[in-house]
Amino acid sequence: MKRSGIGSTPLSGVGTARWYRPSDLTLPEQPDPSAVDSDAEQARFEDAQATARQQIEQARQQAAERVGEDEAAVFEAHLQFLDDPQLVDDIESAIGEGTPAEHAVDDRFGEAIAQFEGMDGRMAERADDLRDIRDRLLRSLLAVETVDLSALPAGTILLAERLTPSDTAELDPDSVAGIATVTGGRTSHAAIIARSLAIPAVVGVGEELTEIEEGADVLVDGEAGTVVVDPDEDERAAAGGVDAPVVEETVSTADGVEIEVAANIGGEAELDPAVARGADGIGLFRSEFLFLDRESPPDEAEQYDAITTALAAFPDDRVVVRTLDIGGDKAVPYLDLPEETNPFLGQRGIRLSLGAHSDLFETQLRALLRAAASEHGDDLAVMFPMATQIEEVAAAIERVESVAADLDGEGVDYAMPELGVMIETPAAAFLADSLAERLDFLSIGTNDLTQYVMAVDRENDAVADYHDPLHPAVLRAIDRTVSAADGNDAWVGMCGEMAGDPDLTALLVGLGLDELSMSAVTVPAVKQQVQETATSAARDLADDALACETRAEVLDVLDES
Amino acid sequence: MVIAHPPKQEAMERIVKVVPDAGLHARPASQFVQTANRFDSEITVGRADGDDAVGANSMLAVTGLNIEHGESVRITAEGDDAEAALDELEALLTTPVEDEEEDSE
Repeated sequence: MKRSGIGSTPLSGVGTARWYRPSDLTLPEQPDPSAVDSDAEQARFEDAQATARQQIEQARQQAAERVGEDEAAVFEAHLQFLDDPQLVDDIESAIGEGTPAEHAVDDRFGEAIAQFEGMDGRMAERADDLRDIRDRLLRSLLAVETVDLSALPAGTILLAERLTPSDTAELDPDSVAGIATVTGGRTSHAAIIARSLAIPAVVGVGEELTEIEEGADVLVDGEAGTVVVDPDEDERAAAGGVDAPVVEETVSTADGVEIEVAANIGGEAELDPAVARGADGIGLFRSEFLFLDRESPPDEAEQYDAITTALAAFPDDRVVVRTLDIGGDKAVPYLDLPEETNPFLGQRGIRLSLGAHSDLFETQLRALLRAAASEHGDDLAVMFPMATQIEEVAAAIERVESVAADLDGEGVDYAMPELGVMIETPAAAFLADSLAERLDFLSIGTNDLTQYVMAVDRENDAVADYHDPLHPAVLRAIDRTVSAADGNDAWVGMCGEMAGDPDLTALLVGLGLDELSMSAVTVPAVKQQVQETATSAARDLADDALACETRAEVLDVLDES
Repeated sequence: MVIAHPPKQEAMERIVKVVPDAGLHARPASQFVQTANRFDSEITVGRADGDDAVGANSMLAVTGLNIEHGESVRITAEGDDAEAALDELEALLTTPVEDEEEDSE
């Protein structure tokens, strides 16, 4: 039995199906109070509390190990809500009056949730906490089996209606052999995280997926985009995957031109998979992950720790940190970002760093400059997102210099990292010359560049064909950027899905990129392609592609190569 | 669990300005309730200029106050260890949670 979806991590895995059903909590009909044994219900409630307490304590411990003590604190609050005298007293008296435990819990928590939801932003988050605790109690009372995502048995194929980014981030890549979901698209954040963790994944399979039974033998083929139940030998052998042997060292083309193949990192958990797959450092460290899913911004010390941890994971390779890129679709509740009609054209990236959130920018720069002076800090590079004007880059450099002067005055150790800018707007591509003159490097972010050059919303399926970096307009913007960098003695890299497509490696080498950075999972395959590419042939291919007037012609040129 | 309350005594109180950035939410709230629960005294907290005092042993009630950074609260404690409780709770609310960065501009 084979079902099709969208392959999202191009790897395959076989394992045992395990369903994750976080919200299947329908209460039975409430019986007449006279038919309820209050003592028995009280005992059930106490059992459920004990179970929930144990789970929360375990979650607290795991969060402390994986993410840090600060973030684990949320679970302390959960424990206090669980034992809250107001909640517990009300629930127990309802039980005493003949309400079954699950209804008493659902009613009282429902009331508290509604109360918090009626208040402002931060209080609404408390409502989420209460919902989380209520669901734990109800799962226990209704005997709905819970799946602890961070402690799945080895060889699990995780099946779910959908996974949130935080669900996905909890997964242990060593025990999860694959993921398949009913809904979701390739560019959803959960899919991106799965890719970074190198977990085979197929998303958007549709309702058919729900026919797969718990415990079934399942093959997830993230390259073909298929989910197979009880795969036979042939199907297992045919399972795809862009996997290639891992090459630790930096690779060169067949004629000896070195190309760095680096990894994009969006969280500390992604460092190990990146090292394991032989990445030559980090080409894009999305520093905003340090700011998401929390109550207040990370302080200088925490950011310093995160950066030095990344540097230590790649002691001999470059680590490129992108300064805070929030706004657009990345919400950060505690920053009170204004609601915008067109967030992708509004205050995001460097615009916020130089404007409303210059304080966060300064803290981040302090952490970065100090990290540059740390043990492995020589290879630190810093780049600014969403630049469209020379003034912005000049102002950013000025901020860096003023932070350096402050640190100097305080007698704190610091060093100047390499400085660069993301090329992800047409404005930046047109100004690439002037940018390269002022900076050490340019890094082309093809996802956003394609979005802005083609005027296409990357989340909108109706215009998906527009969102392809192989449109001649995008290729020419890339070419313009590379030439500008070459002419000004700056190096030029690419981070974005395009860089990780092994079918495009020859084209990118031909266009003259010095560095390609991608989700760790495709690093081995791209390295293999680099080694098989000859630069002269690649240059011809790039010239042919640049001469094309339509995307169809570009695709033909690539097919023939 | 049955908590034995000490005999009634004169309630002590203290007015404290909330220093942590998060206000009486999140971690500060959690620590506040945790600390209050360690003492035998009966403890309440509310806005200094309001009559919204609630039991400090309830996370739900304390966060429900929605007290922000910079607001002043009145903490009352009644019991043998009232003074010690107030000392600790005051220290908690007047300690910034994280090292605050200096703004040079």
